[in-house]
Amino acid sequence: MTTFIELLLGGLSIGSVYALIALGFVVIFKATEVVNFAHASLLLAGGYVTAVLHDDIGFWPALLVGIAGAASVGAAIEFFVMRRYRGSDHSVLAIVTIGVDILLITELTRRMGTDVLALGDPWGNEVVQIGGITLAQTRIAAFLAAGLLITVFLLAFRYTSWGVSMRAAAENPQTAALMGIKLGRVSLAAWAVAGALAAVAALFLTVFPTPGLERATSLAALKAFPAAILGGLDSTTGALAGGLIVGVTESLATGYQSDLSFLGRGIGDLAPYLVMVAVLLIRPAGLFGTKELARV
Amino acid sequence: MSDTTAEAAPLVTTAPAPGGAESFTDRLRRPRTYAVLIASVLLLALPFYLDRFWLQAGLFAMAAAIGAIGLNMLTGATGQLSMGHAFFLAVGAYSYCILAGESSTENGHALTGLGLPTWLAAILAVLLAGAAGGVFSPIAGRLRGAYLGIATLALIFIGQHILFNAGSLTGGYNGRAVPPLSLFGFTFDDTEVVVAAVPFGSSEKLWYVGLVALLLAALFARGVLRGRPGRAMNAIRDHRIAAGVMGVPVARYRAGVFVLSSMYAGLAGVLLALVFQRTVPEYFGMILSLEYLAMIVIGGLGSVAGAVVGAFFVSLLPQVLTHYSDSLPLVSAPGTGGLAPGEASRYLYGAAVVAVVLFLPGGLARLGIALPRVTRPKKSGEK
Amino acid sequence: MKTAPAPGTGTDNTTAALTVTDVTVRFAGLTALDGVSFTVEPGSVHAVIGPNGAGKSTCFNVLSGVYRASAGTVHLGTTELTGLAPHTIAGLGVARTFQNLALPPHATVADSLLLGRHRLTRSGFIATGLRLPSAAREEKRHLDRVREIAEFIGLEKALERPAGSLPYGQQKLVELGRALCMEPRVLLLDEPIAGMTADERRRTASVVANVRDSLGISIVLVEHDMGVVMRLADAVTVLDFGRRIAGGTPAEVQNDPAVVQAYLGAPE
Repeated sequence: MTTFIELLLGGLSIGSVYALIALGFVVIFKATEVVNFAHASLLLAGGYVTAVLHDDIGFWPALLVGIAGAASVGAAIEFFVMRRYRGSDHSVLAIVTIGVDILLITELTRRMGTDVLALGDPWGNEVVQIGGITLAQTRIAAFLAAGLLITVFLLAFRYTSWGVSMRAAAENPQTAALMGIKLGRVSLAAWAVAGALAAVAALFLTVFPTPGLERATSLAALKAFPAAILGGLDSTTGALAGGLIVGVTESLATGYQSDLSFLGRGIGDLAPYLVMVAVLLIRPAGLFGTKELARV
Repeated sequence: MSDTTAEAAPLVTTAPAPGGAESFTDRLRRPRTYAVLIASVLLLALPFYLDRFWLQAGLFAMAAAIGAIGLNMLTGATGQLSMGHAFFLAVGAYSYCILAGESSTENGHALTGLGLPTWLAAILAVLLAGAAGGVFSPIAGRLRGAYLGIATLALIFIGQHILFNAGSLTGGYNGRAVPPLSLFGFTFDDTEVVVAAVPFGSSEKLWYVGLVALLLAALFARGVLRGRPGRAMNAIRDHRIAAGVMGVPVARYRAGVFVLSSMYAGLAGVLLALVFQRTVPEYFGMILSLEYLAMIVIGGLGSVAGAVVGAFFVSLLPQVLTHYSDSLPLVSAPGTGGLAPGEASRYLYGAAVVAVVLFLPGGLARLGIALPRVTRPKKSGEK
Repeated sequence: MKTAPAPGTGTDNTTAALTVTDVTVRFAGLTALDGVSFTVEPGSVHAVIGPNGAGKSTCFNVLSGVYRASAGTVHLGTTELTGLAPHTIAGLGVARTFQNLALPPHATVADSLLLGRHRLTRSGFIATGLRLPSAAREEKRHLDRVREIAEFIGLEKALERPAGSLPYGQQKLVELGRALCMEPRVLLLDEPIAGMTADERRRTASVVANVRDSLGISIVLVEHDMGVVMRLADAVTVLDFGRRIAGGTPAEVQNDPAVVQAYLGAPE
């Protein structure tokens, strides 16, 4: 039972980090209807900046610069690439983000080589014992930070003028534009916010017990995709639920790996995708996604 | 009505119909006929002049072209994104090995093999890839566009998991050896045959297999794209609701195209395996799927020519860079600290994807209208 | 003006009434259609009119299967259409055009029209991929019919041009032609003459009248141009805020106080 609770809590913690990534992904989709396949490399970029700077300027400033860096990379993608596309086919734009992803990933992995970079976080490998349950401090920090950011984000999405214009743009771009909402600004903000969230997530994907930032981090980041789509691509609630489901599934499958050995090694990495496929078979629009309503 | 017939005639030639086809003399007057003729002779003669390195590179490109044609029918013509192409390539490659190989022990692994005739194994491998696509069709039929792209990510991870874990079938990490193809008692292996004073090894022999496979795959796809299914596919891409209202069963078509594109990937996988002579699981990862998407975007979405041009561009680029890394600025041999050819080519095609979409809608194939196509303007399906 | 070309053999052209009974459509709390009923008599032109937002397009979307009715039924003859997929409804002979163009811009007019033949043709992946003679024969036969229809709507010169390169009015004609290519029993036209030049309007109106007179196709027409509605329609249904507020012959409807009020606003 203790193991189960530990795994569950660990899963919720990592799941909240996935939710953070998925949230950014969903925000871009809602604001611009673009599926951003470059999201994992956005995350890697943020993590890389933090990793390189933390020795010189200290962890917290480095993290801030990392967040700002990923946000500006996101904004730059929007400004220099997405905005220049003149067509209307969103599948094509999704492929453009694949091109961007190839560029970013190549550049970052070339810089990183085979190194594992530490981000210099203050929690180290300390653990906390509560009633026989052992939890790493990093997991608690991840859960709290992700929870805080998600709350702030959702409040902003609901109550600030930025959130209102974002939702209006998602609802109906033409009408929103006529109401004086600057669609370019909305989409630029969406990309920047998504980048910033991804940079924070990068920190928590690379802290203890993970060795650090490495090439494989982008694979971990990729799990935000099944999280986003099983929740429903156009739903912020879905991103949260999806993130937690993916985190818990992964944590349990990894934790009980020895009992699941008939499924082969590394089932923990596969489990989120299997859950996604199962959900999509039953609900093609995801758990919280709206069924597409045709406008004809 | 008479001028209508004259105008409409080219449309009929796209699906060569009895009575609708151009006359032979008409064809002789077109420069394109000669270009095709010269190109064919050149392609047939290449094994006599090129060394093994370039023949292999060419064969990779041909295999890639077949796979890219399949993906372009799905993504380019029907608007359904797939990240799972590498999975179906793997299904084709490994099925061939399992079906054609003998049971054996390799590196301490017991490997299962059915020992079927290799030509039969190749055909069955393609069908199995199609069947794998069919299993995924409840999702492939119901999800649209980029949604499907994310869902198919699952296939990559499922594929990698199986390849690494089902050791008795796949050979696990080490992969497995590929039995050489034999057709009518002729084996496409490295036993040397001397043709016109040129020693023919496996690459030289397979070159012709690759050419025939690519030609047939391209012709089939062209027929599909220009015929009734192609119109339905484009309608789904351009206006899904209208397609349904016109009587196109959207989900069934999406699933059907997905199966067809899986079979193309399967065929590409078989050919790749034959060229590699060894299948390894790492090759069939996500990067491979991304490369295929890059190919069709760079070449041109929705057309056969686009897929072929893009496949040659993306798969020959690293080879060219590797070969000339000494003489190219910025690029250096792998491991020397500079920009490795593999990385350099990834920068180039990553940038090419972005550049083509932004500045060259229609892709490189549209540029390649150096072959004058006087009589026939573009048809639908190219976008 | 030529009369409409008769379709080839093998198409089911028996006419049947289209009966809409108590159809209600709700989206997230909003009632777009509220218990609407009307019957389109076989071989008649039935206009559905009403101010913007009255539910006319929603009504079309239910008829063609794009939306599902929350309640109520739609029958074509004795066949129930409610709940069927759009392509099944199309297969039963219901064709429609769209208010905003739904033409692939790059496809040629001929290809767009051939798409209309989809339900009447059979060649699949294998037949077209292998270029079987059967596929080629089918293509040619249907291309002949497409030419006839193109001539009938006056687009025979534009067959090889990309549909997107034509003026707006002509693109709407292509859509009409594409629907006609389906050899429908019921034709749903969503604002077929909006955005057209006077000349194109005349042409479209006469095409519509001709289709009814010589082919006996039932036509449901959503249109804002009252002159055209009054001239063409045999019967009119008036919707306002999702409800049927009046119905009858054009003359009856024209003098109905409820209709006048809906269009001009409340008297006070």
